[in-house]
Amino acid sequence: MWQKSKPYLLLLPAIGTIVLLFFGGLFDGLLKSFGYFPAIGETRFEAAAYTELLQSSEFWASLVLTLRIAALSSLFAGVLGAIIAISLFLLNESTKSGTSQLWHRLFQLPLTIPHLVGGYIIVLLFMQSGFLSKILATAGIIDEITDFPVLVNDPFGWGIILTYAWKEAPFISLMIYPVLARIHRSWREVARVFGAGSWDFVHEIVLPAILPAWTIATFIVFVFTFSAFEVPFLLGVTYPSVLPVYSYQLYTSGTLADRPEALALNIILAAITILLGIVVYYFSKRWNVLKGWD
Amino acid sequence: MNDLRIINIEKKYNSRLPKNDSAFTLQPIGLTIKEGEFFSLLGPSGCGKTTLLKLVAGLIRADGGEIRMDDFDLTAVPPEDRRFAMVFQKSLLFPHMTVEENVAFGLKMQKVSKKMRLDQARNMLEHVGLQGFGFRHPDELSGGQQQRVALARALVAHPRLLLMDEPFSALDPSLREDMRELLRQIQKEFRVTVLFVTHDREEAFYLSDRIGVMSEGELLQVGTAQNLRDHPDTTKVAAFLGLKNLIEGTVTNGYFSSKLEEFEIPVPHLIEEGSCFLILRPEAIQLMPEGVIPGADAMHIRGEIQQLIFNHGFYIGKLKTANHQLECSFSSQQAKNMAAGQMVDLMISLNDIHIVKK
Repeated sequence: MWQKSKPYLLLLPAIGTIVLLFFGGLFDGLLKSFGYFPAIGETRFEAAAYTELLQSSEFWASLVLTLRIAALSSLFAGVLGAIIAISLFLLNESTKSGTSQLWHRLFQLPLTIPHLVGGYIIVLLFMQSGFLSKILATAGIIDEITDFPVLVNDPFGWGIILTYAWKEAPFISLMIYPVLARIHRSWREVARVFGAGSWDFVHEIVLPAILPAWTIATFIVFVFTFSAFEVPFLLGVTYPSVLPVYSYQLYTSGTLADRPEALALNIILAAITILLGIVVYYFSKRWNVLKGWD
Repeated sequence: MNDLRIINIEKKYNSRLPKNDSAFTLQPIGLTIKEGEFFSLLGPSGCGKTTLLKLVAGLIRADGGEIRMDDFDLTAVPPEDRRFAMVFQKSLLFPHMTVEENVAFGLKMQKVSKKMRLDQARNMLEHVGLQGFGFRHPDELSGGQQQRVALARALVAHPRLLLMDEPFSALDPSLREDMRELLRQIQKEFRVTVLFVTHDREEAFYLSDRIGVMSEGELLQVGTAQNLRDHPDTTKVAAFLGLKNLIEGTVTNGYFSSKLEEFEIPVPHLIEEGSCFLILRPEAIQLMPEGVIPGADAMHIRGEIQQLIFNHGFYIGKLKTANHQLECSFSSQQAKNMAAGQMVDLMISLNDIHIVKK
């Protein structure tokens, strides 16, 4: 009995802390979002914060912006990640030297850099007084650095999209590379003998083979960027802001009476994230990306 | 004629070890495979037969020589443009495609319309006994069924040459026999030219019109199964074909004398003088009926039976003569009256004796 329960008991302190902080915080937020806020004398339960939020134009503008940024970031990161992974795979197939390993490491580099640093790199590179605009101005391609398009702190969110595309592409390539690594070297030979050129091989064999893993990885990036805070906070504009930033603004800049609204926003955000997580889980189980591969 | 001509093709693999100049060399090989012929390359592992197959497929670049078909030089033509097909040791079906899509893959690459290629794929699946399996995925099939699909995939596009690299070696023995039978039947039906690689003598003998025996990167001898077995050119070929009873000796003045001076027999005059081996095929050695004296056209052998082993409906007898260990083949009827330790008199017709150069 003791032997059986020992591992669970040993894990209890760690699990207890996580459950208390995570679910405790979430539960506290849920209570406050429904107006239960004893600190300001509110002990009734009501859905006023949700109603107000859903009726405000700021919320919908913020939601549209968040969806757009998350969708475009995931799409760009997905395409870039797939290109990186396929290029590394083809490089690995064609060369036996250590060159491919070097490229592997190079492409994995963004994984080691924190998001905030990634965002800062984009600021330094792409802002109007940044590195790229100065190079273009010096080269005479643009007259003034102010001619360089506004890509950082812009209302569309290009700076945020660029950061996530750069930062998440290696994650996607890392997710799909194991699938590619399981493609038999002999499949290339089979495909060639049956008349497939290099593009046919990528189109007919490589892309369909990685599609399930790619979709799931891209979906994970979507879910992550949908609820991420620091990069949009650094590279976004004050209005419209993405949902997590909007929630932070409501929480810190308003009065205590605005907090239920901020927390309601967090609960909506968490609900959407959980829903998307369930969708990812459903597809990953259904597709079972390596089913039948030996 | 769509004969395949392999003209002095050669390939050298360099060793990674600095001291060795080359790790493996495929010696220049010349060979013609006729249209519709079933040709096997037979040899032990590492003898270069798969290298030769891949050179023909275009998957490896040759260091010298030519591959020609229908008088076109294919040496520099990439494999995707050769219109060949190949079945590998593993089925290597694409797991994300259904069986039907796998079979139709070659036709898709030839830009055949979807309806037509799927119709042809279904038809070919019927030929290999997999009717109704088209919508399954490869992992839902057994190893034998997967290899049938691989065969269907290779045949559906009507290749000019079908290359097969030990396709049945991963299957269990009974399944292997079924597949051999199926391949034999299908090859006859489609009249497809086949270049088949195997290390299994039985398989090569059963399937092939002609066989090329390879060893250490060299093509030693080409011939029909019977021709190779009855008249091997060298002891290497004889040993690989599993021929027993190789007796070392010399030919002088029209006579073969064994090294240990036990046997002396006349040989035809066209046999060159010098060191050689006498081959006594076990099945050609006969039990001498009582009271019969062997004539001048037969060789007498006397020895003691050491062991009798039952094998596929007949008995293998291990015989100890004065200086040699021989192997003979006896029917169950003959073996009934024999026992270990018994002395027996045997004979072999001089017409069944074969002498090979050392």
